[in-house]
Amino acid sequence: MRSLSSRLQHHALDEPGRRAIAEGERRIDYSSLWAQACAFAQSLESSGVSRGDRVAVILSNCIEAVVACYGCWLAEAVVVPLNAQARPRDLEPWLRHCEARCVVHAHDHADAQAACTAIGPDLIRILVGGHATGHGALSWEQAIAQSATANAPEGNDHALAMILYTSGTTGAPKGVMLSHANLAANVDSIIGYLELNKDDSIVTVLPFYYSYGQSVLHTHLASGAYLVIEQNLVFPHLMVETLAREKVSGFSGVPSTFLLLLNRVPLADYDLSSLRYLTQAGGAMAPAVAQRLHEAIPQARLFIMYGQTEATARLAWLPPERFAEKQGSVGIPIPGVELEVRTEAGTVAAALEVGEVFARGPNVMLGYWRNPEASVGVLKDGWLKTGDMGHIDADGYLFLSGRRSDMIKTGAHRVHPKDVEEVLAELPEVGEVAVLGVDDDTLGQVIKAVIVCAPSAVLNELKVKAHCRERLAAYKIPKIITFVDSLPKTASGKVRRTELSKPTVSQEAP
Amino acid sequence: MDHKKQIKRFVLENFLFTDDENALANGDSLIQKGIVDSTGMLELISHLEETCAIKVENAEMIPANFDSIDAIGAFVARKLAA
Repeated sequence: MRSLSSRLQHHALDEPGRRAIAEGERRIDYSSLWAQACAFAQSLESSGVSRGDRVAVILSNCIEAVVACYGCWLAEAVVVPLNAQARPRDLEPWLRHCEARCVVHAHDHADAQAACTAIGPDLIRILVGGHATGHGALSWEQAIAQSATANAPEGNDHALAMILYTSGTTGAPKGVMLSHANLAANVDSIIGYLELNKDDSIVTVLPFYYSYGQSVLHTHLASGAYLVIEQNLVFPHLMVETLAREKVSGFSGVPSTFLLLLNRVPLADYDLSSLRYLTQAGGAMAPAVAQRLHEAIPQARLFIMYGQTEATARLAWLPPERFAEKQGSVGIPIPGVELEVRTEAGTVAAALEVGEVFARGPNVMLGYWRNPEASVGVLKDGWLKTGDMGHIDADGYLFLSGRRSDMIKTGAHRVHPKDVEEVLAELPEVGEVAVLGVDDDTLGQVIKAVIVCAPSAVLNELKVKAHCRERLAAYKIPKIITFVDSLPKTASGKVRRTELSKPTVSQEAP
Repeated sequence: MDHKKQIKRFVLENFLFTDDENALANGDSLIQKGIVDSTGMLELISHLEETCAIKVENAEMIPANFDSIDAIGAFVARKLAA
């Protein structure tokens, strides 16, 4: 197995001036990227970070986030990319749970500062941007100042490389543990079916703290390709201008990304002829949207994909040539992966029979960090229990039909209802609350909160949202809030969420 | 109420969920501070088109016109004067 860092080293030595990443006006080539990663590794070691220590990276997509990731691996540390939009309520428990030795964050990220301060002075901090360090923190410039050389470590294939937290902090956090072998295997499979090579280039807007964003980053760097980082999709036409200006060959998104482009940008006005591939993951995209995308950018091959963080990123892909014939399918297993659908009795389902999807392959995680109960719950006999329901047709194509869990998919984000319910329940005016996802044309789902007020309490939507805004990342704030007299429940007292997903008029209570 | 005040009130109520004027400075970046995301920007532009009776063209949807209350206020003033 060739580790991801050894591949980066190869490109740096083989073609030093080859362009690697663009971010706004900034550019970095493979040689400089490698040199900065080596210097960062040296700084980690000088600061007292040892093999296996966890280094949390709380950054929006930027060159520094990439350097920090590869620098961690060169120092044989474990990189823990944390959601840069998260509030201290999530950041602090994550930092405690992974026992971070070091944190890299933007110098003006107040929530990261607050979380680090709560952890204590022993935490090594590296601040990106700004100049003043203070409190013993290193500036980014100091962290990459030392001229250092390194070789990509060898023989650590099954060592822990990365922890990705998939849920908030209600109960025990779930930190997906990925080894160097997991990452390399998934990268190899994806490079294979996308046919990526060093002449490829991609605009990426997917956050590196999610598995999809990580996957796009590492597959392209491992190929010697060129990445153009875009921070957000607030102005979709500017991103399309970047696609055209940079003449990139690829673009990756979640369903809401493509919907925004199709609905808000006159794509025919731009020269997008350089696009060779589009990839879509992160939830089901309606076949009609995929068809519109195909018609708008006909020469680009559209790869519908499926996976989950517990499988590093990818489990299945739909060969573009089969799209028309297999509409609605997420495709066939990626190379090296086996997929099975199992009945409730645990037997392998017959073709077309619906059951739960299980996966096996070199990309399946090591387990959840310091959460053996959760690990045992999803890893059995080498198989990963995905929690997704579906069936496989006679040709071996997987069709998904829902999830066992209540996880909400809104845009590129996953939100556990309990994380939001816990915050809402802290309002003294709230008697009971249930949070769920309801269908939305653009975001796939939006978050809805259904609240039963405490006796005699007065509460309105604005107060509820203001309370959430103080405590939750913006994407976790419910878009829809309704007040009801009681929650529908089963005989055993469990909330019937499906009944709550019906449209209701938001109203003030009482 | 002038347009800038009205725009600020909309942003405060719809994205910060408060009527506290001090919660947002007129020069604060709405994007860098994570106040407005892609769908929020669409809501904001729709609101401007409805309340100010202007049409925002694609080419005008750029950070220079929409990244702060000051920028939006100046943009609306230019559109209305044109």
